[in-house]
This record gives sequence, C-alpha cells and structure tokens, in this order.
Amino acid sequence: MLSLPYRRMARRTRNMTVLYGVGAAFSLACTTAQAIPVYARQTGSACADCHAGSYGPALTPYGMRFKLNGYTDTGGKGFKLPVAAQLIGTRNVPARGESSNRLTEADVYLAGRLTDQVGGYVKVSSNNDGHNRFDTKLSDVDLRFVAKELKLGGKDLTLGVSVNNNPGFQDPIAALPGASSLGPPGVTGTVLNPSSPNAPANRVIGATVYGLYDSRWYGEAGTYNSLQRSTQDRLGYNPNGDPGKLHDTGYVRFAYMRDLRRQFFSAGVVALSTKRELPRTGGPKDKLTDLGYDLTYQYLGNREHIVQLSYVNILEQRKYGSLPTPLAKPRGTVHDQVATAAYTFKQSYTLLVSHMVSTGSRDDGRFFPYGVPNTTANLISLYWAPFGKDDSYTAMANLKLAANWFRFTRFNGASDNIFGAPGTNARDFNAFSITASVAF
Amino acid sequence: MTASPAFAGDASAGSDVFKSECAECHSIKEGRNKKGPSLFGVVGRKAAAVPDYEYSDALRAQSAWVWTPEQLHSYLGQPAKRANPGTKMKYDGLNDPKQLDDLISYLGTLH
Repeated sequence: MLSLPYRRMARRTRNMTVLYGVGAAFSLACTTAQAIPVYARQTGSACADCHAGSYGPALTPYGMRFKLNGYTDTGGKGFKLPVAAQLIGTRNVPARGESSNRLTEADVYLAGRLTDQVGGYVKVSSNNDGHNRFDTKLSDVDLRFVAKELKLGGKDLTLGVSVNNNPGFQDPIAALPGASSLGPPGVTGTVLNPSSPNAPANRVIGATVYGLYDSRWYGEAGTYNSLQRSTQDRLGYNPNGDPGKLHDTGYVRFAYMRDLRRQFFSAGVVALSTKRELPRTGGPKDKLTDLGYDLTYQYLGNREHIVQLSYVNILEQRKYGSLPTPLAKPRGTVHDQVATAAYTFKQSYTLLVSHMVSTGSRDDGRFFPYGVPNTTANLISLYWAPFGKDDSYTAMANLKLAANWFRFTRFNGASDNIFGAPGTNARDFNAFSITASVAF
Repeated sequence: MTASPAFAGDASAGSDVFKSECAECHSIKEGRNKKGPSLFGVVGRKAAAVPDYEYSDALRAQSAWVWTPEQLHSYLGQPAKRANPGTKMKYDGLNDPKQLDDLISYLGTLH
C-alpha cells in the first residue's frame, strides 16, 4: 500500500487528470464537427440542407445521406478545393478559476469528394493551451469508399467502407456519443463515449464496412486498433490519455430509419467489444463489452420549426484483468445515458438541452472514496447562425454565436466533497461560455 | 405564367411542400444549381434547358418535353426513375394529390 504522502500525491494527480478531462470534454461538446463550407461549395447546397441549424452539427436526413454517400455528392460544377477552415474565440467563465477571453481553436478541414466513389472528412485542430500556445492535433478522420445506386431485390443498396479514428463518429444518424460529442464526462465511462477517461476516440484507427438497404436498414461492422503511444504523441495527444493496447476489437451497428420528409425517426443498436491492456506492460487485460441502443426523432416540417430528440443508452460490461486493491471487484458495469432535445427556428436559432448521466456498479476498490463513479451533467446551448441558408448573403462562409452552460449536479458519486475532502463540489466544474465561430 | 386551372392548387401551401420535398436539391434562385437545376421559371421551360447544369443523358433525350403543369404532374406523381429511366434525380414521387397541385401552383409563381 502507498504511504500517505504518495497516496495524497496520487490522488492529487488523479484529480488534476479528472479536471483536465472535464475541461476537454466541455470543449469537445462545444466545438464538435460542424457544417463546413467546403461541402456547400462542392454540392451547391446550403449548409442548412444537411444541418438543422445552419452551422451544424445536428444532421438532417439529407445530411445523413450525404455522409452515407461518402461525402461524394456533387453539384456537377467540377473540382472544388477540398479545404475549409474554422476559427473559434471563447469567453469562458468557469465556476472556479479565472475567466478568459481567447482565440481557443483554429481548425483546418480537408474534406469532400476525391472521386465519385471516394471522399472524406479530416479535421486538424489547433487548440490554445491557455498561454496562447497552440497544440495541433489530428482530430476526427473519416475516409470513405462507397458504391452507390446498387440494387438488391429491386431495392436501393449502398455499400461502403469507412476508415476512421473514432468509433461512432462515422455513424450516419449521428446520435452516438462519438458523432454527437455528447457523452457524460465522468471519472470512468464506456468505450463508446469519447468523454470517458482513456477513451479510444482519435487514438485508434479502424475500418468498418457498412450498407444501407432500401433507404431504411443500416448495418455496419468493423474493427479498431489503438495507435502506439508515440504515434498518439506525434498526432498531438498526451500519451497519458492512452486507451491502452486493444485486442480483438469488434464494432457492430444496426439501425432502422425512416425519412418521411417532414419527419424522421430511427431506432438502432450498437456493440463494441475489446480486450484492453492498460497500462501497456504486457500484463492482464480488461474485457470490455459495450451494448447500446439509441432512438431519435426529428420533426422537420417546412424547416421553419425543427425539433430533434435523441436518447442513447450504453451499458458496458467489464471483466477486469487485475485487482488493484483487495477491495476491488473482478467484474463491474458502467452505464452511460444521454438524452438530448433541440429546437431550431428558421434554421438560425437553436436551443439545445442535453442531460448526461454516467453510473457504475459499486466497487470500493476502484472508485474512491464513495465506491461509485456516478456523474450527472447538463449542457444547455443557445446558438445563432445567420448564414448558410439558400437565401443567405454568402455560401462561402458561415458564422455561429453560441452561449453554452455546462453544469454538474453529481461527480465521482457525490454532489459535495466529491474527492472525499471538504471544499470540492460537483458544481465547481460548472462553466459558462460564449463562443464565436467562423468557418470559411 | 400561372398554373393551369386543372391543377389550381394553393401556391402558399405549395411553398411549404417545396421546402420539405424539393429544396434540398433545388434552388428557386435564378442561376443557382444544387444537386438539381434551379427551378426558377421551370413552368413552361423545355426539359434539360438550364444552362450550366449537367443533365443526365436520359433527360437530355427527352427533347420534346416541356415542363407544363400537366407534364410536371405526371413526372412528380411517380418515382423519378420510373418517369425517366436513367435520370439522376432521386425522388420517390409525391402521392398526395392536393400537395402535388399546391406544389405545381407554387412552381408556377417562380418567375
């Protein structure tokens, strides 16, 4: 057992890691994949054709089809430079700590169609470290090969391959945490939640094969391998967030969806199974199995009033390879749930409310000091995106002003004294921010 | 030009039908082509006649087609692939007669 000073040091390090993770998750939720003008230039469409709010990120059924078609659809006006950029400035007001005004992010997107069957999305993100130094990293990647307009039994069939680095990011319905970036940021979480500590998001590479039959039935299967720690470092990621060495990783997804033009709904299931060696010492592996389902509904009408609802429920079964303390249990479960509602008016004004809950089975040997890792958080966002519609002044650029409130009511199993010592409360993680995003 | 009396619908309601059925692929702005050609002035126009739009060979072959209200009614009332085999237009057709009349009336106002 560690001596008291070492235990305090270890706890402090863990707490700092948690604080960093919560901040990163907040940033992730606010700057997730957006409408990028390169697709509008390529297709001649407006951003608002693919996104409910014209700056994104929520996809309309038309946007889902564009993604399923491998980002290759075109307006037939010849080659368009597949490059876009985004700048984000943020006024951040955390519940504890100093407020700041910064250029927080500068992104370059290489995205769009290479051929009629090959297209993609690559985001290179440069983030302000708080001292006006920018750390550049390779963010989400989704490269696709697609065979369109096939027929099977007289019905339409689309088949494709996606090479991507974030399980779930490639999903067309985009409700899974990997695509929505909405996942509870707790002290632990499911593999499919990019806000979980040591999540595989952006630190793995994988390939999935997918198909859409009759415009309704979606299926996908694939596998992932984690990148070497040195590769993660070179791509801009702190090796401390290493997801570990992953073995025998499988990803499966099925969904049924209906586009009724004025409404859309979907119901899906997802599974990811892996054996994780963390740390990478050649020691025992944790067997992790995520089983989830998701439900979505969109009322689109004439696009004047759009309502989007989604619910995601992912249960992770864990069979641990080691027992770090005598109190630790050999098995456990973690359960992530996200319910999100968004209302968009004239595709310009959006109010989004997301409720995120992470719970876990009791394990006094792993979750200190309360034996449960439970976290409850909310994101409330109000956006204004004046451009990106058919009648907008320009299709070459887009703007979004957003007010975001991220709040916690429970963290690490408690609302108060969350790390066991007085003076640290879940609400200390609360933060309010105003962001201005420009894409061109 | 206005829609023929045979298909006299409510152009205002047709605007909503257009937004939910057509607007993702077609603009009503003159000269603005999306995945589909601009529908500005479509009623009365010859098929495959918008400059700078790359039509399918299948539609180019229909040189006798003029987008009259009757032609539009026939074309939009069934899957595009059946109305014009080989077309690149992906549309399952509008099977609500009132919505179809409203839509065609609205298209007739786009001048």
